[in-house]
Amino acid sequence: MSGRKTAIVVAPGRGTYGKSELGSIARLHGQRFADAIAGFDAERRDRGQPTVTELDGADRFSVATHMRGDVAAPLIYTATALDYLSIDREAYDIAATLGNSMGWYSALALGGAVSIADGFRIANAMGLNSQTHGPGGQILMQVVDDDWRPVPGLRDTLLDMVAAIDARADHALALSIDLAGMLVLAGNEEGLAALLAEAPPTPGRDPLRLAGHGPFHTPLMAGSSQKAKAELPPSLFARPALPMVDGRGHIWRRFSSDPLQMWDYSFGHQILAPYDFALSVQVAVKEFAPQAIILPGPGDTLGGAIAQALIGIEWQGMKSKADFMARQASDPILLSMGRTEQRALVTGDK
Amino acid sequence: MDAAQAVHEKFLAALAEGRLPGRGDAPDPGAIGLSRADATDIFLSQLTSRQMDRLSRALQARGEGFYTIGSSGHEGNAAVAAALRVTDMAFLHYRSNAFQLHRARQRPGGTPTWDMLLSFAASSEDPISGGRHKVIGSKPLNIPPQTSTIASHLPKAVGAAFSIGIARRLGMDDLPLPGDAVVLASFGDASANHSTAQGAFNTAGWAAHQGTPMPLVFLCEDNGIGISTRTPAGWIEAQFRQRAGLHYIQCDGTDLAAAYRGAKEAADYARRTRRPVFLHMGTVRLYGHAGSDVQGAYLPKALIEADEARDPLLKGAALMIEQGWMSAAEITGAYDEIGATLARQAEAAILRPKITTAAGVMASLVPPKRDVARSNSPADDDRKAMFGSDWGQMDKPMHMARLLSWALADLMLAHKEIVVAGEDVGPKGGVYNVTAKLHQRFGSARVINTLLDEQAILGLAIGMAHNGFVPMPEIQFLAYVHNAEDQIRGEAATLSFFSDGQYANPMVIRIAGLGYQKGFGGHFHNDNSLAVFRDIPGLVLAVPSNGRDAVAMLRECVRLAREEQRVVVFVEPIALYMTRDLHEEGDGLWTSIYEAPGEGTPIRLGDVGIHGDGTDLAIVTYGNGYYLSRQAEKLLAADGIQARVIDLRWLGPVDEEKLVVAVGDAKRILIVDECRITGSQSEALMATFAERTPDKKFARIAADDSFIPLGKAATLTLPSRDSIVAAAKELLA
Repeated sequence: MSGRKTAIVVAPGRGTYGKSELGSIARLHGQRFADAIAGFDAERRDRGQPTVTELDGADRFSVATHMRGDVAAPLIYTATALDYLSIDREAYDIAATLGNSMGWYSALALGGAVSIADGFRIANAMGLNSQTHGPGGQILMQVVDDDWRPVPGLRDTLLDMVAAIDARADHALALSIDLAGMLVLAGNEEGLAALLAEAPPTPGRDPLRLAGHGPFHTPLMAGSSQKAKAELPPSLFARPALPMVDGRGHIWRRFSSDPLQMWDYSFGHQILAPYDFALSVQVAVKEFAPQAIILPGPGDTLGGAIAQALIGIEWQGMKSKADFMARQASDPILLSMGRTEQRALVTGDK
Repeated sequence: MDAAQAVHEKFLAALAEGRLPGRGDAPDPGAIGLSRADATDIFLSQLTSRQMDRLSRALQARGEGFYTIGSSGHEGNAAVAAALRVTDMAFLHYRSNAFQLHRARQRPGGTPTWDMLLSFAASSEDPISGGRHKVIGSKPLNIPPQTSTIASHLPKAVGAAFSIGIARRLGMDDLPLPGDAVVLASFGDASANHSTAQGAFNTAGWAAHQGTPMPLVFLCEDNGIGISTRTPAGWIEAQFRQRAGLHYIQCDGTDLAAAYRGAKEAADYARRTRRPVFLHMGTVRLYGHAGSDVQGAYLPKALIEADEARDPLLKGAALMIEQGWMSAAEITGAYDEIGATLARQAEAAILRPKITTAAGVMASLVPPKRDVARSNSPADDDRKAMFGSDWGQMDKPMHMARLLSWALADLMLAHKEIVVAGEDVGPKGGVYNVTAKLHQRFGSARVINTLLDEQAILGLAIGMAHNGFVPMPEIQFLAYVHNAEDQIRGEAATLSFFSDGQYANPMVIRIAGLGYQKGFGGHFHNDNSLAVFRDIPGLVLAVPSNGRDAVAMLRECVRLAREEQRVVVFVEPIALYMTRDLHEEGDGLWTSIYEAPGEGTPIRLGDVGIHGDGTDLAIVTYGNGYYLSRQAEKLLAADGIQARVIDLRWLGPVDEEKLVVAVGDAKRILIVDECRITGSQSEALMATFAERTPDKKFARIAADDSFIPLGKAATLTLPSRDSIVAAAKELLA
């Protein structure tokens, strides 16, 4: 047996490249992955879009620019993919990949179902394409207490309310992403307004409308799905080199996964139906029993959701935030590459 | 070398050395509609199942695993799963791991290997049994857990398949099984010989022979041996190829494409024609019956090696390589990786919690309550229309048989999911007319005349209950239940326990029984032992003594089944069916006027009946014993002895608290039990009073340990009015 640890890699989704990540791509990867970045830049330039290098190298972070899908997605993908390529493979065997929402496109590339270059093409196209939708967006609501334990009944209350609002004329509202401790709810403006007006108080900060986000993972994205299927052909897909866990908790196995089915899921169901990120984490840890969970950059904000998903199944005895923090302090299970000290563990860089 | 290790090494060596068997005339996957993705996925499930078997043995050796009956050699089951839909209910035997692993591929979000490891480790988080038993089973995958080793799950599979056609006839489209579902029941070649299995084949064939829908696949996994006894060569085929009513299909379970072709043909046939199929799948049993079984002790080495050469993984590997879908090195790599992953999972799984208390073990003996559709509370006009000419009789006192038949009619009118089934319950109305007119009122889809086989009747009920019906099977005589008791004891009563309360088979089993028929029938029509029901955990046993109680208790039994998912046995004393008088001819004291639903005082589980408030003596009894004790009470009163007579009504479980309250300040207690003294309720009651009322003097009178003779001798061994009087006086002396 090798001394390598087994890890799963969780690719982050939208909202993870923020002010503090500005410049991180150049800083972390500029030298080692200059060729890859140049390739990504060329892809953008060919399409008349500002390059990754330009965006990452901007003087200041602009919410209006950097949080827009067509900018955020390629930045996030680039940071994720290059972080993944920085993992010390002498230290870690990767057992499976998964992602959150847009992170699914990254997971496809990390898992080898598409090439790193085509992964960029997909993320970039989907960043733009995901703006193809009618009025609407996403709202984030917390359903756990400060110790990351479920507030009794709150999740069910919210989901019942969402279904009731969705049933009203001219209202559309649905679960978009299950982040374990947070629910992302998406709908049209009428649906979102009704939710904000009627929802019971939730713990933590007030319900947050996610800037620049559309009503992702709902039927309101039908146009985006059609466009994706039209412009991103199945030929981009191949059998994965690693198992991948999708937003339904389905495991795409090596050897037996049909590229056409992966394509159909990625640009169909994945776009139009709820993304159960919490379940995908839970399935991944149960079915691959990794010794570590690696969260590539940008940032580390998805770490909370990963931890909450683990707490939700009391994974390795962790039943609360305090348990998780204690575990992280002694023998970290979650390694966020957006955190310097944990990044060093993953990359082996001193 | 350990046999499992030997097979493992042979597989790896065959891959390394390119010595894989030919696939003979096994089909090309493309020619049978099996895609590269699907075939490869089946193969990966097979590899996983195999590695899991190896791991189960390793865990057992470490004291961390508790089950080693494996699926090795039976991995063709994965192909069977691929040929079926996840909504096709599957009753599986114990070499079916590959089936469950692969069916899980149809339903995203599951964690089949983790779940199975939790069950190996007997963790309370095992999602099917809660750590109570190693079973193949899953609620989301429509695999009710089986613990049977003797094919005793086959009758209920027949019942479940039968229920699909009944649901269609009744227009019920909100049941667990869709109208186009197929039911699968798997078993081995050895257990195919079991009389229970044979009964199920016969029932399915009997039904199909007369055109009754029976969309059922019997999957016989023929590995040629049952523990150490070899099945005669060709026996299964010889027996089933021409069996009436069954469509026979043969396939080679050691080749995944051949297995898929056979299973697909079987599933399609059953779905299309709604007729039963006997799918005879050749398998091999690799490395013995279970971990402790060394087959070298009873099988010639050459035979073992011949079986090992038929290892399904070898042919699967040959297929993958032949098609260019996986190389030998990739297969080895995938196999090793699966093994390594499972090993990591196992280390995590064995740390998960176990059941630590008796209460935890017993928590699912009784299924959870459920929300049920409200009854449709039929209007009087509907009832009047249904009852027809009986409506005008309802203000007249009636005997128990008539009252019960009316109560059944009202229950069936109120609850469309109730079906009545049994021998002669149809147009004849049952031997004692208790089901009279039900057939005419509710039709043959709800009042089902069965064949003469109690296992089939109870299996029908269990299977129908799996699909949302509330069956009320009738066993014609108490003595006839004994040939089928395992369907209650081993199957119906255990389902909630082994599924952690996720599956239940609510039903009310009506049984005519007990003694005192005036000179009729002898033992088999007067059997007087209820012992068979008394030790079954979770079972409800009701014995009414009079018509008014019988109606109220039957309604409570149906409520218990509908709302609390209980398995209920309702024993109707035959001798009291037509009894009208208590003390003298014409007094009519044992009749009552029918109370419509909602009228009268309900009788809840555990409620005892109390007649009188005498304090000299409490007579504790039930059934015919209550009737005789009421006669005795009058005679005792004439002699100045003031007695109260307590009717237990519910023998399982007895509500001891209510019983002690009912005895109250009565100074002495006489237990009157019409059943054979050994194993009778009186034994438990003696213990109860010794524990609960040690200051009171108590005694019992019960039937002798004898079978019931014919004619005038029929009651000689039983308690009588006069023997009760004598026993009471002796106790008071």
